[in-house]
Amino acid sequence: MSGIGVILGRELLALLRSPKVLAILLTVSLAAAFVVLLKWPTTAIVDLDGARGREVFRWITYSMLAASILAVPVFPSTLLVREVRRRTLELLLNSPLSRSSIYFGKLLAMLGFVVLLLSTTVPAMAAAYLMGGLTLTGDILRMYAFLLVVCLQLIVIGLLVGTWSRNTESALRWSYGVTFGLTIVPWFPDALFPGGTSPLAKGMALLKLISPIPGLLQMLNQNSFSGTGLMESRDAVMFYLAFAGLFIVVGSAVCISRLSHALLDRSRSQGYITDDQEGWIQASRRLLYIVDPQKRSKGIPWLVNPVMVKEFQCREFGRMHWLLRLVAGCAVLSLLLTLASARGTESRGVEYTGALIIVLQVSLIVLLTPGLAAGMIAGELEGGSWNLLRATPLGPARILFGKLVSVLLTLALLLCATLPGYAVIMLIKPILQPQVVQVLGCLVASAILAMLISAAVSSLFRSTAIATTVAYGVLIGLFGGTMLVWVNRDAPFGHAMVENTLRLNPMAAALNAMQAQGFTSYNLLPSAWYVAAVSSALLLVLLFVQTLRLTRPD
Amino acid sequence: MASDQPVVEISELSKHYGEFVALDKLSLSLNRGSILGFIGPNGAGKTTTIRILVGLSRPTSGTAKIAGADCVRELSKVRRLVGYMPDKFGSYDNMRVREYLDFFGAAFGIPRRERQKRVSEVLDLTNAVWMQDRYVESLSHGMQQRVGIARTLLHRPEVLILDEPANGLDPEARIEMRTILLRLAAEGRTLIVTSHILPELSRICDQVAIVAGGKLRAMGTLQEVTRTLSQRRTVEIQLLSGEGMQAAAARVRKSLEADAEVTASEAETIIRARTSAGDDTLGELLRAMVLAGDRVGQFREVAGDLEEAFVTAAREAEAERHAAGAAQAGSREVSK
Repeated sequence: MSGIGVILGRELLALLRSPKVLAILLTVSLAAAFVVLLKWPTTAIVDLDGARGREVFRWITYSMLAASILAVPVFPSTLLVREVRRRTLELLLNSPLSRSSIYFGKLLAMLGFVVLLLSTTVPAMAAAYLMGGLTLTGDILRMYAFLLVVCLQLIVIGLLVGTWSRNTESALRWSYGVTFGLTIVPWFPDALFPGGTSPLAKGMALLKLISPIPGLLQMLNQNSFSGTGLMESRDAVMFYLAFAGLFIVVGSAVCISRLSHALLDRSRSQGYITDDQEGWIQASRRLLYIVDPQKRSKGIPWLVNPVMVKEFQCREFGRMHWLLRLVAGCAVLSLLLTLASARGTESRGVEYTGALIIVLQVSLIVLLTPGLAAGMIAGELEGGSWNLLRATPLGPARILFGKLVSVLLTLALLLCATLPGYAVIMLIKPILQPQVVQVLGCLVASAILAMLISAAVSSLFRSTAIATTVAYGVLIGLFGGTMLVWVNRDAPFGHAMVENTLRLNPMAAALNAMQAQGFTSYNLLPSAWYVAAVSSALLLVLLFVQTLRLTRPD
Repeated sequence: MASDQPVVEISELSKHYGEFVALDKLSLSLNRGSILGFIGPNGAGKTTTIRILVGLSRPTSGTAKIAGADCVRELSKVRRLVGYMPDKFGSYDNMRVREYLDFFGAAFGIPRRERQKRVSEVLDLTNAVWMQDRYVESLSHGMQQRVGIARTLLHRPEVLILDEPANGLDPEARIEMRTILLRLAAEGRTLIVTSHILPELSRICDQVAIVAGGKLRAMGTLQEVTRTLSQRRTVEIQLLSGEGMQAAAARVRKSLEADAEVTASEAETIIRARTSAGDDTLGELLRAMVLAGDRVGQFREVAGDLEEAFVTAAREAEAERHAAGAAQAGSREVSK
């Protein structure tokens, strides 16, 4: 058996033995079957033009893309990190296997998982094919091939991220971040400058094509998915395939070059301290950082919860200088969005920009919160530090309070960052003031709910990687899954069903408050707040009970 | 508390996990300022005992007290009386050593100014001042162990419980660890130390407790424990010259039981015998050798070592387990 075969066999077997993989495959298979069920003809009218078959095909494709974006990054991103941490990579690198055979063995094993994932939708796709309007090679096989390339790119992203990350939590966070950054984020700049002729607008329109979504929409003959009505004249499929091909080749080359003993010899900073530097260095760092992360700590103040301070200190992203940079970035982005809105108020209106800010902000909350909160208990249990906490006089309430406040303060900073954008919106259209206040209320509810979901999930698992993945799944299900019902608002779901479902999603309530297009006919407030409050209260109770249980003697 | 009063008192302590008995009516007590070497094979019940003592686990029956505080009912008091270092370090990412210690000091409610002083003190005591600005996760295992001990000392506990503190340390780090532990005992602290590195323990402990199969097999000073558990004694007979050594060795073999192990080292002019013979037999042997004209310089018994006692205890537990298994199988057969 060749080197690639050895690695491929081991990795694929390990994947297939995992109950998580079985759960993912079952979920995707059921979701695809559910789509067929929703769109299955209920009347006796013959669909001669095959429109219904194409519609089912579209929704199965969207489900497959969503499943790929959610499930595929999990495995490759944690694969190398685990090997490094367990020192098994050392054994592999010291064996006669070449670096490229180790890399391609892992890549092919992941591809095997992807083939399994995509094949779970084959029965649903067959049903769509039977409805008519589709060709086997022109539509179905072409779509599977396209999705295979998308997944291959996601695998390369995951493996690449794995060569940089030090732990599974950060690997997951970064690979989801890069995945979203390459699939969803490139859409937004073009949405701000639609159909513009300036070089910037043209650049934005070109940037959009690095995402697989425009290509996918073109294959589905749905060029105006975002409702702009502007048709994409370029060959988005070919553009994406060229970009993805280049990414896969370059990414693989970089990953193979990084797959060496250097991965095992990464030493940490030995502890650079500003206090030990010369006066001018200290002064310039103070100016540069505002809150200098390398300054010797004066100790935790008397009345401050020590767990909260500890959480901030031991979070790579929690150190104050990072937060300030993030907040500054968000503030600039929100101002840019409102500026764009002010330039195009005639065509779009500030409501459109407001909706964009809401979606961006909730996306950021969904992306960051599991990274902040899903490891708060699972991480301590996994690393063995939970027993040290239990051996201190700190009670469960104090531990929990410290941990939650540390996440909440971070999220509050994120929310505050977009206040300038909302302020400009209110300046442009003062009549929107009560709506903006409602939007802010919904965003606060989103942040609290996201935090409590992630924290509650954290208390149920002993592995940070699993807790983070489950938290992402639940949050994306809540904030994105409910929007799928909204997308099907005309058929098969009725108005009442869509309204009730959207009440679960505070982001939908914010869009409703902003009177965003497609949300004006619903009445989601204040009931969405009540739902969020009750859910948060229940999650808090669950979290407290779990913490109490975990702090008590076994 | 007076030094002759027990600071750790364990009475009839049992812990059951379903049908599995992790601890079976274990009783022991320890005086202030002692270092107890708590040893036993894997799964013997050491960690279970320790977890009960620090309030991480609840016993099925029996009591455990630290300085008079009950480990089940007076948990918050016990946590302040005990400094616990588990076998797993439990580090936090991105935290410097000083921040790490400051956090645990704050968790014990030590005021900031006092905390800063104590952090400096414990770093000094464990020779870890130079690593105070380093990130905890970047430290080597030996350095982390020192930080771990520094952490347990922050709140000035009466009893220190250290689970495998010398595990994975190089010889130099072990010597440093030994010095630190002896210094702590000299300060009047009571230490309970588990380890599989028995020669290391025998050098620092004034008391040894051997557990196996959830039961306390022996406890006392090193000599008492080895005397209790060792079935054989080692006798060394130093001859003044190597002349007639083989004949002398043959005489020794003849005087002792058939399976006694007798070796003669010409280079050292020593005959060593591992025997289960009593004092009378050994007295007879010496008389016979002198009468036979052997030039005996020294006739001494060598103190038994901890390893042998450990192995004996482990075998005893293993035999009990097999007997219990056989009895269970027998009763199943009968019921069939």
